[in-house]
Amino acid sequence: MIKAENLTKQFDNIMALDHVSAEIKDGNVFGLIGTNGAGKSTFLRLLSGILKPDEGTVTIDGESVFENENVKKRFFYISDDQYYFNNATPQDMMEFYSKVYPEFDRKRFESLIGNFGLEMRRKVHTFSKGMKKQLSVACGISANTDYLFCDETFDGLDPVMRQAVKSIFANDMAERNLTPIIASHNLRELEDICDHVGLLHRGGILLSKDLDDLKLNIHKVQCVLKDGMTEADLVSLDRIKTETRGKLYTMTVRGTREEVVGMIESFQPVFYEIIPLSLEEIFISETEVAGYDIKKLIF
Amino acid sequence: MILLDYKDRRPIYEQIVEKLKDLMICGVLEQDSQLPSVRSLATDLSINPNTIQRAYMELERRGFIYSVKGRGSFVADTSTIRALKTSELKNKLGDWVEEAKRAGIKEDKAHSWLAEEWIYEENGSGGGVKE
Repeated sequence: MIKAENLTKQFDNIMALDHVSAEIKDGNVFGLIGTNGAGKSTFLRLLSGILKPDEGTVTIDGESVFENENVKKRFFYISDDQYYFNNATPQDMMEFYSKVYPEFDRKRFESLIGNFGLEMRRKVHTFSKGMKKQLSVACGISANTDYLFCDETFDGLDPVMRQAVKSIFANDMAERNLTPIIASHNLRELEDICDHVGLLHRGGILLSKDLDDLKLNIHKVQCVLKDGMTEADLVSLDRIKTETRGKLYTMTVRGTREEVVGMIESFQPVFYEIIPLSLEEIFISETEVAGYDIKKLIF
Repeated sequence: MILLDYKDRRPIYEQIVEKLKDLMICGVLEQDSQLPSVRSLATDLSINPNTIQRAYMELERRGFIYSVKGRGSFVADTSTIRALKTSELKNKLGDWVEEAKRAGIKEDKAHSWLAEEWIYEENGSGGGVKE
């Protein structure tokens, strides 16, 4: 388990992370979401011990990460901008990483490179952006680490490759309990694969919850109330947001489907409809409640 | 075996539960036959194995499947699931009758429709598309 406590990092006068705490359970996919500049990459760099926190601690199973080689062997960090040596080929990178990671699986690496349609002896600087990403995924998976930190890894991969990478993650999670931590600003992408999501905004964690709990506990309701009833009669609903257009009410309501249906039916409305929210909509409503500028979260 | 609809707003595990239930009802998954392993299904669908696990747990909780330690999950006695489906269908018909009554459909009309549909389905709806 990875535990971050009270993490704070400041660059000159920019507060990148402000007392962030999070727990990442083994065998889960942790999704890290946030606007550009929210501190996702800084958070990952602190987790991987590249940066030293100004305050707070990062521990993996109780051991501190910073300057601790033994712990660092347990994760692989796929940075947004993966570094390759000058003139290096995938072959060279394999040689390098197998020195750093004792469990590096060379056969797996070679077969992944082959399956991705890359060449072991072609220079990395002649690769396209997407191909470099593929190479970094191959390195990360073959390193056979317990944790895999992915910073915008799906960015730049084509749809087929995205599915393939997700399949590989799924396989390794089931086979050797890999724990991927995926930072992304693409909510749609994370929706399919995450167990748990943490939302970063301006250096702080807004919420950290299981995705299914999030989804099952918030609904969008549309209804037309019967004559004589007004919004004031809806007090029993835990409403986050209400919009009225003539007689039609559109509301975002907390509660399970059964609870919401029960309450709505007790009003005997002329018509009603309940739909679960997408991850994107959940975040818009959650951040709105927190008083953040929602326009910054829609892209 | 399972097709997921990513536009569906329900959690993915619920979709998997529904799809597997359908497969058991229509007999594609027979009683005591083995369900695909969590890993192979997760890899096929490119989704989180924990999601599949959760779907299997839900099916087991409802008594539709059982698991054997070290061997995997198997389809349980399908009579429970069929009974559930039967009552579900009956309720649906109830709703339909209510709606038909409101629309002023007469009972004998409804009967003749049912008979027509029945014959149509039995005479190979598989081939043609209904007008």
